This record gives sequence, structure tokens and C-alpha cells, in this order.
Amino acid sequence: MDYALIHNLSIGFGVALSLQNLMYCFFGVLLGTLIGVLPGIGPVATIAMLLPVTFNLSPISALIMLAGIYYGAQYGGSTTAILVNLPGESSSVITCLDGYQMARQGRAGPALAIAAMGSFFAGCVATVIIALFAPPLAEVALKFGPAEYFSLMVLGLVGATVLAHGSLVKAIAMTILGLLMGLVGTDVNSGIARFSFGLSELSDGIGFVIVAMGVFGFAEIITNLEQGESRDVFINKVTGLMPTWKDLKDSSGAILRGTALGSMLGILPGGGALLSSFAAYTLEKKIGDTSKFGKGEIRGVAAPEAANNAGAQTSFIPLLTLGIPSNPVMALMIGAMMIQGIAPGPQVMTERPELFWGMIASMWIGNLMLVILNLPLIGMWVKLLTVPYRLLYPSILLFCCVGVYSLSNQPFDVMLTAIYGLLGYVFVKLECEPAPLILGFILGPLMEENLRRAMLLSRGDATVFVTKPISGVLLGIALVLLLITLAPAVQKTREEAFVE
Amino acid sequence: MQIKNGKDFWAGLMFIGFGLGFTLVAQNYPMGSAVRMGPAYFPTVLGGLLAVLGAMVFFRAFVSKFSEPLKVFIFRPMLLIASVVIGAATYFADSQLKGAPMVQYALTGLALFLFFGAFGPRSMFLILLSVVIFGYALKPLGLVLATVLLIVLSAVGGHDFRKKEIVILTVVLVIFGVFVFVKGLGLPFNLWPGE
Repeated sequence: MDYALIHNLSIGFGVALSLQNLMYCFFGVLLGTLIGVLPGIGPVATIAMLLPVTFNLSPISALIMLAGIYYGAQYGGSTTAILVNLPGESSSVITCLDGYQMARQGRAGPALAIAAMGSFFAGCVATVIIALFAPPLAEVALKFGPAEYFSLMVLGLVGATVLAHGSLVKAIAMTILGLLMGLVGTDVNSGIARFSFGLSELSDGIGFVIVAMGVFGFAEIITNLEQGESRDVFINKVTGLMPTWKDLKDSSGAILRGTALGSMLGILPGGGALLSSFAAYTLEKKIGDTSKFGKGEIRGVAAPEAANNAGAQTSFIPLLTLGIPSNPVMALMIGAMMIQGIAPGPQVMTERPELFWGMIASMWIGNLMLVILNLPLIGMWVKLLTVPYRLLYPSILLFCCVGVYSLSNQPFDVMLTAIYGLLGYVFVKLECEPAPLILGFILGPLMEENLRRAMLLSRGDATVFVTKPISGVLLGIALVLLLITLAPAVQKTREEAFVE
Repeated sequence: MQIKNGKDFWAGLMFIGFGLGFTLVAQNYPMGSAVRMGPAYFPTVLGGLLAVLGAMVFFRAFVSKFSEPLKVFIFRPMLLIASVVIGAATYFADSQLKGAPMVQYALTGLALFLFFGAFGPRSMFLILLSVVIFGYALKPLGLVLATVLLIVLSAVGGHDFRKKEIVILTVVLVIFGVFVFVKGLGLPFNLWPGE
């Protein structure tokens, strides 16, 4: 431990522990869990929906609250997974497998408690990892020129497509479609309004909240309604939260392994909560006694829950140090930062240390709040689960509409969101993963800007991307990633991994 | 040639359409050179790339090992064609319609209405319609009536419409909206028409 780290963390805790910020963190965690518990609403839709609430806050309070909403939604999703076998979001799909079986055996309480403890432990470790690794990474990033940034974004997008579900070609196509949609609006260099069809509403570009809300929020509601609802809630069976000694002993190793794996995978571009939980479960299934997996094995809850929380947090590292989002949630956080007038990137740490370290400190506090809040409130979340979907979705729609409208008080935005809802439905039906689209959408203008600058500096010599060492290495990694994914052996296991 | 994978078939067409569309529209802007890229440069490259990838997905549909039906979701081509025709006519007749903005709005609205109706199940149409109506009704009708419209119309879109429940839900959400959105968060919505 060096002195600077302690100094920085003390700045952070000073900011995060102010009464006001504690309150926003608490509200964020509470609201996030409240909405995350509702089946069929993932963290992306939750954050997009609650974003307008943070518009009037100071930047640091807004980011603290949004981060709180994120963990809350993440944890709420696990509760739903365990109790109803309906994942609130994709990263808790895996928790359904053993968590729901435990609930059916009357052990929902211990499953929920272990999930909370695992998440908290993972959260603590991940916070320390961010505090240790973010500063050196940001220092490297400060030396980046436009060519390096462009290559870094290429690597980020390639990472996101490689790790997306299903077909690689479709994922790449979705990324490019996202990049193109991100270009709509006034071009900074020439002042020409591109792809706006003469509509003044489009000359400022399409808001990322509109795309995220349409493609994730509305499309989810539509597909849920199409499938009809079938739910079995094990309400009466939540008795006694305390896990037994044996539970604790069994799951402690799984929590440690899950945390380690999640922390590493969260940093990868395209990684984060989803990949981490899948990988952790697969790892657990290869270790020790595997006979009980799928039949209510507590390790099958502990490992993915620890991993997805660790991954959710360490995915903040590329965002905070490089300004590059690694998954759709981080893309939303970038959008939120831009709305608050903060340009994400390595300079945030040096120019606004209170913002950077305050946010890191608040992550730890938020995780603590999650445990304190959730264990006693589980009864309330369970009641919420019994609210039928036919009453939920009109309410969700109202929140979404008010959220979108309040972005700039334009009916046009609401209509555009509806169009993106339609597109989102089509994407789901055609098995085109929307996550790469959102990443491309956020990165589109940044990529073009850096490409232009790099080419201008090199006087039109495109080889600059390969000859500059850092840029060349980044592109090389991207290429290797693509080639590995295309290799027949990997493609086969990849298909199997996603089927599981 | 037989289409084996309907999902790839349509996805391919979609990507080709978007790719060509962006490339074509981009040709209205200056291209510039590799040193000084104009606003058309990057979109043209990306659009071309997207069209190529779309073509790959499209041709894969004929050799795929996965078998998917061609009919992936409900699609009403006639409505889409009608929507595109009306939309294009309104767009290109912009100068003639300048004197009659109401006609212009009505035609644009009709084109959108048909467009939303062209895809997917009934529930999707009603939900998206309720959303659009809410957006355009909020200012003229006020938050209270717009909320009523949104809730009732979207609830009709579900499978299981229960009158009593929806009345209660609407009342609760209107009260919630007034107190939380307007009084609590201070969003600048008027509550009633013409306020």
C-alpha cells in the first residue's frame, strides 16, 4: 500500500460519505433493486428509465446514484431469478439454474443470503482492484494519440462482438449499424447535418437514451407480452434467511473463485457481469463434487453471483481510465457523464479526483447498503413479485415515456423511441444481439473524430495505425481475437457455451 | 436454391438495406480525401462494409445448418408499401404542402400508423401507438389525460384486459405522476389541457 492510494481513497470517502451523497447512493440502490426485482427489466432499461431523475443533481451525486441503481438492479435480478426462475436480466440467467431449485426445496432464504454475501465480498475486492489498477492504466492512456484511441476502440468493439451471443457476422454487422446510427446529426468538422432528412430534431443526433430505451426497454415489453406469462412464485417458502455452517463452508471457495474470475473478465472489452457469471458457473461445475449441480447446489448460486458483481464493478475500469465503455451499461454511464458535461477519459482522474475517487468509494458503500437493505427487505421484494405483469408493463411504459420526453421536451423523441422499440423487436426475432449496436452507437462519433485526426496528422498515411507501437499491438490483439473466434474448434465450444 | 434459415435471410436483407441506405444518403455530402475526410467518407466506408456483411448473412441463409422458418414474425407487406408510398409522397411534396400544415401532419401520421402496423403482433402495435400518442398528447392535453390514454391503450394491448383493475391502476398512476414527476421532480408538464 502506498501513501497516494490511501490519500486518494480518503478523498473519495470524504466525498462519498457526505450526507447528501450517502442519501443518493441509498436511493439509487433502493430504486435499482425495486425495479430490478421486476421480471423482464434488466439493468440497462432500469438505468435508462431512471436517468432523468439524476439530471438535476451535481455530476458526482448523479454518478453515485446511477452506480447505485446499477448494483441494485443487478442484485434485484438475482432475487427474481431465485424466486421465480425468471431472470430479470441476462447475467442472472445462470443463477436460475440452482437458485430456483433451492427455492423449490424451501431453501430460498439461504440462497438469497449467500447471493448477497457473495456479491458483497466480490464488491469489496473489486473496489480495491479498481483503486489499484485504474491510476497506472489512466497514466498510460494519457499518452494515447488519435491513432491509439482509434485502435483501442476497434479492439473494444471487436471484443464486444466476439463475446456476444450467436453469430459473429451478425454481431459485427450490428456494431457497424450502431456506428452509422451514431453518426446521425451535425458533423463537427463541416457543420453539415447528416442523415437528418431536413428534420431539425435529428440535427443534434439521436439521443442514446432513446436507442437504449427502445431497443432494450420497449422491445423487452413487447416480447414478454408475446410470450404470455407463466410464473410460479415460491413466496411462502422464504423462511429463515440464515444459511447453515455447511452452506457457508461449501460456498466460501466458490465465492473466492467467482470473485477472481469475475474481476478479470469484467475488465475485458465486451465483458462484464454476463460473461463473468457464465464463466464462474462453468468453472464450478468442473471442480469437486458435481453431482448436485442443477438440483440446488449452493455453489451454483454463490460463484456466479460473486462473479457477476465483481465483473459489474471492474467493468468500470475501462470506462474511468480510457473513456471506452465495455458493455451497454457502461455505454449508458458514458452518456450520463456527457449529459453532466464530463468528457470521459483518463483526464477525469487528474482533473476531477474528487469525482473519480468519490465514485470508487461509493461503490463500496453501495455494496454495503445492498446487503443491509436487502436482507431485511426481502419480504417486500417478494410481494412485489406477485404483482401481475399486466399491471406492471403499463406502469413501466409510463416511466419510460416520461423519461424520454423529459430529455428535451420533444414529442419527436418519444416517437423515435417507439421506432427503436420496433427495431428492437425485429432484432430479437432475427437473433441479432443489440448490445454491440449500443456500443457502436456511443463510439461512432468518437471513432470518426479520432480517425480523421490520425489521418490528418499522418498526412493520409493509413499505415500509421500499424506502425505506431501501441496502436499496432491493440489492432494485433483485435485481429487475434477475431481469428481465434473464427477457428472451427473455438466456434464449436462457443456454440456449446451459449447453449448452456 | 432453398432458403434454409429464415432469420438469416431477413437479417441479411435488413443489413443490406441499412448499408445501402446510409451509403446512398451519404453521397449528398462532400467526400473529402483520406487526409481531410469529409462528412461522407466514414459513413460511405461503413455503409459499404455493412452491405457486404449483410450479403454474407443473406447467402448463409441458403447453406445454413440451422433450419428456421421463413416466417419469423408477422409481417404485412401491403401496409409497409402503403406507408412508404405515403411517407415518400409527403416528404417530396413538402414545398406544395407548406400552406397546409394540417394535411402534412395527417399524412405523416398516417404513414407512421401504417408503418407500425406492418410488423409484429397486435400487442406491439397498440403499445407503440400508445407511446407515440402519449408523446404528442402530453403538451396539448396535459399529463393527466395523456397518462389515461397511455395506460388504457397499452393495457388493451395485453392478453388479459380487466376493466376494474385498469381503472384503479390508471388512477394510482395519475396521482403518482402528478406528485412525483411534477411536484417532486419538478418536470415542466402541464396537468390539464391549455394550461
